[in-house]
Amino acid sequence: MYNQRIQMIFHRLLAPRRSLRLKLVILFLIASLLPLITLGVLSFTKSSELLQDQLGKYGSNAVTQLQYQLDSELSQMELVAEYVHAYLLNPSRIAIHREIPRSYSDLHEQSDLEDFLKALKTVKQRGLFIITKSGYFYGENSIKTTTLKEQAWWKAMPADYAGEYWPGFYTPRHYKEYSEKEKVLGLVVPIRNQQGALKDSRILIEMNADKMYELFHLFEKNTQAMLTIKNSEGQLIYQSAQAYTPQENDVVWSKSLTLNDWTLEARLPYKSFFQSSNIIRSYTGVGLLFSGLLALLLGFLFSSRVTGRIKRLKESMFLAGKGRLQTRIPVQDRDELGVLAHSFNRMIGQIQDLVEEITVTEKLKKEAELRAFHYQINPHLLFNTLNSIQWKARLQGNEDIRKMLYHLAMLLEGNLDITQELVTLRKELEIIDHFLHIQRIRYEHEVNYEQIVDDALMKYVIPRMSLQPLLENIFFHAFEDGCGTIRVSIEEEGEDLVLRLEDNGKGMTEENKQKLLQGTYRSKRGRGLGVNNVDQKFKLHFGPLYGLDIQSVVGQGTVITIRWPKKEEDEHDNQSTH
Amino acid sequence: MTNKRIMITTLLLLVALTVSACGGGGGATSNQGSEGSSGSKDAEKTLRFATWDTGDSLKVQQDIAKLFEKQHPGVKVQIEPYADGFDQKLAASFGAGNPPDVMLMWDFPTYYTNLEPLDSFMSKDESLKLDDIYESLFNYVKVDGQTYGLPSGFTTRALYYNKKMFDDAGVPYPKDGWTWDDFKAAAKKLSNPAKKQYGFGIRTSNDPYDLQGIVWSNGGSFVSADGKEIEGQMNSPETAQAIQQFGDMLKDGSAALVGGKNQMSGDDVFKAGKIAMWESGVWPLEGFKTAKVDFGTVEMPVFPGKPVKGIVALSAISVAKQSKQKDLAWEFTKFFVSNEVIKMRSNSDLPIRKSLVQELKFDQNPLYVPFYNMLERSDNTPSFLLNSNWKLVNRYLTTAIDSVMLGENAQDALNAAVKDAKKYMDKK
Repeated sequence: MYNQRIQMIFHRLLAPRRSLRLKLVILFLIASLLPLITLGVLSFTKSSELLQDQLGKYGSNAVTQLQYQLDSELSQMELVAEYVHAYLLNPSRIAIHREIPRSYSDLHEQSDLEDFLKALKTVKQRGLFIITKSGYFYGENSIKTTTLKEQAWWKAMPADYAGEYWPGFYTPRHYKEYSEKEKVLGLVVPIRNQQGALKDSRILIEMNADKMYELFHLFEKNTQAMLTIKNSEGQLIYQSAQAYTPQENDVVWSKSLTLNDWTLEARLPYKSFFQSSNIIRSYTGVGLLFSGLLALLLGFLFSSRVTGRIKRLKESMFLAGKGRLQTRIPVQDRDELGVLAHSFNRMIGQIQDLVEEITVTEKLKKEAELRAFHYQINPHLLFNTLNSIQWKARLQGNEDIRKMLYHLAMLLEGNLDITQELVTLRKELEIIDHFLHIQRIRYEHEVNYEQIVDDALMKYVIPRMSLQPLLENIFFHAFEDGCGTIRVSIEEEGEDLVLRLEDNGKGMTEENKQKLLQGTYRSKRGRGLGVNNVDQKFKLHFGPLYGLDIQSVVGQGTVITIRWPKKEEDEHDNQSTH
Repeated sequence: MTNKRIMITTLLLLVALTVSACGGGGGATSNQGSEGSSGSKDAEKTLRFATWDTGDSLKVQQDIAKLFEKQHPGVKVQIEPYADGFDQKLAASFGAGNPPDVMLMWDFPTYYTNLEPLDSFMSKDESLKLDDIYESLFNYVKVDGQTYGLPSGFTTRALYYNKKMFDDAGVPYPKDGWTWDDFKAAAKKLSNPAKKQYGFGIRTSNDPYDLQGIVWSNGGSFVSADGKEIEGQMNSPETAQAIQQFGDMLKDGSAALVGGKNQMSGDDVFKAGKIAMWESGVWPLEGFKTAKVDFGTVEMPVFPGKPVKGIVALSAISVAKQSKQKDLAWEFTKFFVSNEVIKMRSNSDLPIRKSLVQELKFDQNPLYVPFYNMLERSDNTPSFLLNSNWKLVNRYLTTAIDSVMLGENAQDALNAAVKDAKKYMDKK
């Protein structure tokens, strides 16, 4: 049961033509999702493009900012170092005579130098010292040079190093008071004074690097990038605390310091770089999913109303088709479906009426057929009697009577065969021949009969017994003495056939002509319905556009024109009437 | 009807969705600025308080600030810890016309023009209980008869001694009223250079201010009583002798230099048991207790026939003249010298209120008694209060004293200093 249902759903999905509801839902989905997807994809690509562009610029700017900060910090230190150096190298000013002062004047010199160093101290500076080879130093009494000399970064500086030496960032363990978390940025400048007390001394400047570290951390936090600073020998000056192994596809911003040979490198993992885009993507995705579900839901709800009604319509039609004509659809709304339901109701009502009517007609027809069957016995009797009379006449040698009887039998046979409504022109004209034979024998003189019909037209059909009444009409009304000329001609006119029946009899008045056409004409002998019947026959078979027309001049003759469409004998049609 | 409603709702929802889907990207970056701005509803008054304290004492002051905020709703105390750069930053803030409302203060001659005279506040405010504060402390907060600050804490200087070292050397513990000769003899006995053990520790670089008590005790001085003359004062035999005795002790090995470059501080050397006696204020007392040093305190020795004189290191609290909320600043000042607060600060400063000293039984505690005794002897006016150029003179004096500790003759060094510093004396 369950499997079947799944199969059914699956089948429906594969062949959505089966369900209007599914189509509607799909349409809803497409209508809602297509613009959304387009918009989503467009906004995603555009915004992520922008974001990445901005992030790229931001990262590059941030690194430049760091580089600038570091540069300015370093150049400030360099400036101070240069200043101290220049002061010490100035022979007119150099005051230090003994490495370790003892006397009042020595101390005075020392205090002058220390005051000078103090004056150069800024808030950011951790310390500014001149450290002699022996370990004595000038500057604030806040460091221990014994500890200083054990520091790896101090020992790493070659003894004969000339120029500026940048040991990078480190914890100032050589201070009397320091915390392990503290970081300073150092600069060591060997004094180029090879004589005197300051021989082989070094200037040491240390800046508080806490602010710098804050900047680094802020940079790391804001950009999610890994920051490394290296000197020209590739030694690490700074590295982000977070462990990270560089990847091929990292986004890398790199800058070199202008002041020394340090390089700043910020590495952003490819994934992080595209993180914000991914967020947009997932938001777009969620939006799409949500609206998809919404569309699905709404489509379902909406379509269930529409398809429900359509389904009811369909079921009602099905029922009606099965013959339950009392089926009616309740009409709720005045929309298209409502109108449809209303029309259906009306139609089914009409059908019901018609069926009832047909039932009645059928019944009548049956009765008529029964009656006709009843009457059919009489023609047979008539034929048989006529044949007997014909044989009697032949035996007695009365050829005229025999011929008349033969032709009459033929005429009657044509007339009485009600099974065929439409007969070929050939057959109809044959019957006319029989009629003319009778008339010739009857009047014992020639009636001029002319027939101009192309043999090709003989296959087209004409209502049975439509010419005979007209000819009869001519004999009984137009020719008072039974003499005259009758001409029948049939021509094609496009899709129609036009038959002209001419006589040179006495003609008729306009009034009589109208009466004849309307079937109200009554002669002394009580006939006159023939012409109108013929006209009606054509109109019934071929439509009101076709039929019969009379042109007549009194004393000169009459022309009857009949127009009807070309139609060949249809086997099937004839069979169905049997 | 319902169909229409559903359709409209659907359309609206779709539009809303589309809009929100688009807007999502941009929204993330928009409000970065809001983080930084705080306290936009500024019904709150902020009182700025500058201090030189660091470390634990700073934490105490933060507690004090919180207590004040609790007692004064709507007030926020913003502590500005200037630390080592105190003078520099304070001077800069006065110069810029944007000083803190309240600040710790000791150098009144330098700053008094920028400070609010507090006499009118003091006379109006009975709750202050001025009588309860040691009167002598007010000498240090007055300039030209006007009071520019309230004493908030102080210390005098006394002698710490290591009882164990005295016991080991078989030397009796020092007593109040002992002479410098007794002191030197004891130091000699307590010294053992082979073990790097000495009777007394002398600072490589001394602040002349701290030595004033000893100089005064010998009848000497750095400057004349009117503050105009150093000749014959700074280089008087009495002054020179008082300083020379330390140089002599260093020479004969009964004392050691401490706190110089690459040397341990005197406090640490005393803690390590390498010096038997150490002259200082009350500051290291708690540290010595914590380090479990078995120590005692005693008044400074006397020069025979001369009265012992003390010197007060005072911390006071002042209100800036440019403060825009002087009443609130006064409230805080008053609060800062209340028993409650002084008690909180009593670990680093001696209480200034008699009632609190009694309450804490400091007047019965042998470790604290010498400091209060020294306070009673601190009736001389320190030189920096007598001459506004003293800072400049002090440099030469410092150099002279330092050189004595490194072997120079005190008289010669002081003569040289007087000669060099004289030029600053005519400008008062």
